[in-house]
Amino acid sequence: FTEMPTDNFVESSFWNFDALFQPQQHPARDQHDTFFLQDPAEAPELPPSYVAKVKKIHSHGGYGSQGYKYEWLLEEARKNLLRTHTTSASARALYRLACQEKFSPVKYFSIDRVFRNESLDATHLAEFHQVEGLVADRGLTLGHLMGILKQFFSKLGITQLRFKPAYNPYTEPSMEVFSYHEG
Amino acid sequence: DEEFNDLCFEFGLELDEITSEKDIISKEKGAEKAKGASDIILYKIDVPANRYDLLCLEGLVRGLQVFKERINLPRYEKIIPAQGEGQKLIITKETAKVRPHAVAAVLRNITFTKECYDSFIDLQEKLHQNICRRRALVAIGTHDLDTISGPFTYTAKAPSEIKFKPLNQSQEYTASQIMDLYRTDSHLRHYLHLIENKPLYPVIYDSNGVVLSMPPIINGDHTKISLNTRNVFIECTGTDITKAKIVLDIIVTMFSEYCEKPFSVEAAEVVCPNGKTHIYPELAYRKEKVKPELINKKIGINETPSNLAKLLTRMCLKSHAIENGNNIEIEIPPTRADVIHACDIIEDAAIAYGYNNIQMTIPKTYTIANQLPLNKLTELLRLDLAAAGFTEVLTFALCSQEDIADKLGTDISTTKAVCIANPKTAEFQVARTTLLPGLLKTIAANRKMPLPLKLFEISDIVVKDPNKDVGARNYRHFCAVYYNKSPGFEIIHGLLDRVMQLLEVPPNKENGYTIKATEGSAFFPGRCAEIFAKGQSIGKLGVLHPDVITKFELTMPCSALEINIEPFV
Repeated sequence: FTEMPTDNFVESSFWNFDALFQPQQHPARDQHDTFFLQDPAEAPELPPSYVAKVKKIHSHGGYGSQGYKYEWLLEEARKNLLRTHTTSASARALYRLACQEKFSPVKYFSIDRVFRNESLDATHLAEFHQVEGLVADRGLTLGHLMGILKQFFSKLGITQLRFKPAYNPYTEPSMEVFSYHEG
Repeated sequence: DEEFNDLCFEFGLELDEITSEKDIISKEKGAEKAKGASDIILYKIDVPANRYDLLCLEGLVRGLQVFKERINLPRYEKIIPAQGEGQKLIITKETAKVRPHAVAAVLRNITFTKECYDSFIDLQEKLHQNICRRRALVAIGTHDLDTISGPFTYTAKAPSEIKFKPLNQSQEYTASQIMDLYRTDSHLRHYLHLIENKPLYPVIYDSNGVVLSMPPIINGDHTKISLNTRNVFIECTGTDITKAKIVLDIIVTMFSEYCEKPFSVEAAEVVCPNGKTHIYPELAYRKEKVKPELINKKIGINETPSNLAKLLTRMCLKSHAIENGNNIEIEIPPTRADVIHACDIIEDAAIAYGYNNIQMTIPKTYTIANQLPLNKLTELLRLDLAAAGFTEVLTFALCSQEDIADKLGTDISTTKAVCIANPKTAEFQVARTTLLPGLLKTIAANRKMPLPLKLFEISDIVVKDPNKDVGARNYRHFCAVYYNKSPGFEIIHGLLDRVMQLLEVPPNKENGYTIKATEGSAFFPGRCAEIFAKGQSIGKLGVLHPDVITKFELTMPCSALEINIEPFV
């Protein structure tokens, strides 16, 4: 797995949410879950052709999707925030891959800090680290994903895993991984 | 209980807690108050955010029963009443500026019991919180149809012109009085702002001028639904027509179960200001075709088309194989508004198959691994710095404005710091532009540790940068502090020399590093130097100024070093 550059804590809503198909009215984009920035408040630069594509998919659908069918606003996407997941860096990495002339299969990973606007308690901090991994290739299946997760966790010493269906705006099928300790 | 837990797990729900009303009250108010409360076991189930059809008991049970193949998914029918007999909702143009859209439907001859009545009210609240975004996008109003007579008018009027008896009140109030009345209500005060400052407030009247509701705040008492209500008029108003339609579909599909003709909904006509009429609820059934090979391939299983069709039918997506098994036709019911792409269908097939039944494999993708150079350098330095006797710390990237400015003797405007608009506490106002405050705060929190305290951190700081596409960037900094009875400038200087030695940067001006005496606001005058390498200033080192030390609540002298390591990658 190759390490992705994640050297930006500040991210625009576009890369953090919109490019990941998270609708603009989604509760995670609320004031109380995300740190929005006062300064710099807006991202000055976004890739124009990609923005147009994202706008279309959100509001009308495309590529086989019905879309969310709401009015997609550019100002909302420009809002700067402290990234809530390293998936925004993955989105950028995939965009760079897509802009390549020829597709080459890749495996990426990153381990870096993310920020969520939550009150601190015994098990929650406002900043924490996330591990992110992705594989891009032709002919990948859900079984492959589960296989990699199994190998990853067994290296950490966790062998009993169960997978549960879950919901994520940007992954489908989605799952949560539960592990059991013989304790 | 375990069986149910497993079922929920398989289906994609989380059984959060098994408790009872008595337990809940015990936990919150103490065992005394809980005496006499119900002992009936309650299940707290976490439902995924996109499954509006599972938000009420009726929908949840229906979904699970179809999953277990106990029942077939009911067919939801829209009954269009004969011309002139149906209910009509006329929208006037005044609503355009405040809450333009509305949809409506009727549940005919419904029988309420206490449980399903509570469930009905509960579902509306849950939908309000979830898809309606706390009533901002859509608000639901349900009314006893026998207390009013159509056609109904949805319009907007000045607050002083609206007067009615709100739900559960004993007298009439004008709209402005209602705003004041509910300002202290723990539940409703959060919604007042949605219309409060608009010149016109939305209001729905029947043909006799009786107020049905003032969305999104409150319904009228006149149309209150009781256990004896037989016919229900449902209206959903809002700013997002797609969501309003979805909300209406969910309510009617869930509760038409209790109508005399189960799962049938009486349609209503909505007339828009431009004269166009629509019939609601839409209750659209959408057909999609997905190839069985695609489903098998994406999941990593090998099922026959008819088996796949069976799996999907178990997830409330009625399907059958067509074209001799080359394709599967799926009918998406109105309760599954979350299915918007073939991948949603594939996910449902996988869930029905059982995620834990899928064989796990490793992809044959052949790639060569690589570490990011900056991170590789960081890892190498960390090891050697620990070997030099310094302890690593990991501190917060967010801090208060004083931490990076006032306490270090500079002004915030010179720091180019990134400011947060909505911090929850004053501790997280800005993103740090220097690692020093974090280290000093760590020392302050560890005063009981034996001296000398030698700490370091290699981590990112954030500054504004107009050249980056988001307007800010990270720099990887390395910072070390030495805290002891004597400042230890020589120790910090020695550490710098060691780091440069590791980075193979010679101590000369042409192609290495040099230090030059300078003045720094955070440093003791005459004990501060700037470090130059690779043609630029990369940081400072020196003995910290006593003011800085006291402002961070420390008592001993301290020397510090901070440099940007990115030029050395």
